[in-house]
Amino acid sequence: MSVGARFEGVSVTFGGRPVVEEAAFEVRPGERTAILGPNGGGKTTLIRVLLGLLAPDRGRVVFLENGREVPRPRIGYLSQRSTLTADAPLSGCDLVALTLAPGAGFGGLGGVRKEAHAALTRAGLPGEKQDLPVGRLSGGQRQRVLLARAIAGAPQLLALDEPDTALDAEGLATLRRLVAEEIAAGRTVVYVTHDSDAMGGADAVFHVDGRVGTGFAEHAHGSAP
Amino acid sequence: MIEFLGYPFFQRALLAGALTGLLCGTLSFFVVLRRLAFVGSGVAHAAFGGVALGTLLGWPPGFCGLAFSLGVAGATARASESSGVTEDTAVGVFTVAAMATGVVALGFVKTNVDLFGLMFGNILTVDPADLLLLAAAATGILVALAVFFRPLLLASVDEEGARVAGVATGAMRLLVLTLIAVAVVAALKVVGILLVSALLVLPGATARPLASRWPGFLAGSIAVALAMVLGGLLLSVALDIASGAAIILLGTCLFVGALVATRLRVGRV
Repeated sequence: MSVGARFEGVSVTFGGRPVVEEAAFEVRPGERTAILGPNGGGKTTLIRVLLGLLAPDRGRVVFLENGREVPRPRIGYLSQRSTLTADAPLSGCDLVALTLAPGAGFGGLGGVRKEAHAALTRAGLPGEKQDLPVGRLSGGQRQRVLLARAIAGAPQLLALDEPDTALDAEGLATLRRLVAEEIAAGRTVVYVTHDSDAMGGADAVFHVDGRVGTGFAEHAHGSAP
Repeated sequence: MIEFLGYPFFQRALLAGALTGLLCGTLSFFVVLRRLAFVGSGVAHAAFGGVALGTLLGWPPGFCGLAFSLGVAGATARASESSGVTEDTAVGVFTVAAMATGVVALGFVKTNVDLFGLMFGNILTVDPADLLLLAAAATGILVALAVFFRPLLLASVDEEGARVAGVATGAMRLLVLTLIAVAVVAALKVVGILLVSALLVLPGATARPLASRWPGFLAGSIAVALAMVLGGLLLSVALDIASGAAIILLGTCLFVGALVATRLRVGRV
């Protein structure tokens, strides 16, 4: 069953300056939702609230499955700027496996390594590169590791923050294919972008209007809300 | 030197050295990975305030030192999480406050205080009670690190990615700082307040350039720490020099050696 999200009067301020005010919209399950707007308009802020990385000053985000409220599901996330340490002593497989099994324990990653390798292959990283330390990978190969981490374990919701700037052309083509596969599998994809067609067209588009973030005009490319 | 191995004090010193090496080598992996060298030193130096205050009040100095180190660790984690103050700024402020408290307290102490021992330690004076405390602390710390290894490792290389994956990164940061505080007090008698911070940095810093993935990095950090403590102890006996200083100087030599080896290896590629 697909999971959606509803923003209920979400307001965020940074240092007393309102970035998002009373944002209220719904990311519908199983659809591609695009959030558009100018730089500094609060797009990434909304994604961070969705991910639970940022607590809103007012309002909340509710996750819905079959119309019923559910706890925050596992969300696959591709950030605009990765916070992964450049010389991290991990291979791409280590990173994806750790993300899949981040709970208490020392080793025990054997069970998820196969899944991690599968995600890395889907993301287009050649097999011989998957066990190399991330510091020895090229920029494009590191992007594929981060992409694999986002899609690994079939997260019910995929959040992408300006993927068209985070990935090179080949990586973007891979991501478009993966997003199409995720949508076909009934999963939900929400992305921040300057181009609503970046992920092969959106089912719903929300405009974040300037700093305040009011006035969410919605254009449905697919099914109307 | 062989005859020293028959003396109980030297056997205790070797055991204390092995426990300290294992403990600090494991923690050093996270100290270097999380870039906590300055924070680790700060938490170590904060113990001075507690030890001095404990001496003045007639309370167990070790426990007072632990309380001060834990206080600085907790305040640092809290300040950097909630008030936007960076971790190094917070620890810089709280550490000097703790040390100043120690200097004031020592001014009122009427008895002789072994400041040299407090600062630089003396592994050869470790008694069975110290050994028991060190063994208990090492067991607790190593069990905690083993239990939380995966989330700690993920949070250490990608804090935001770890949070999205469901890791309580704030709790992980506090856990590492708390374990550093406990390790500092446990290793006080072996290397002293000033030098324990080096033992938390040098093993990881030496192993890091030699290992590309975490298993080698972790094993290397522990091996370097053991070599430092046990080798330094033997050097101190052979050359009749202070044990704490011998341990750190040996560690510094290993660190420089690792840098040279890395440079040569890179140059050959």
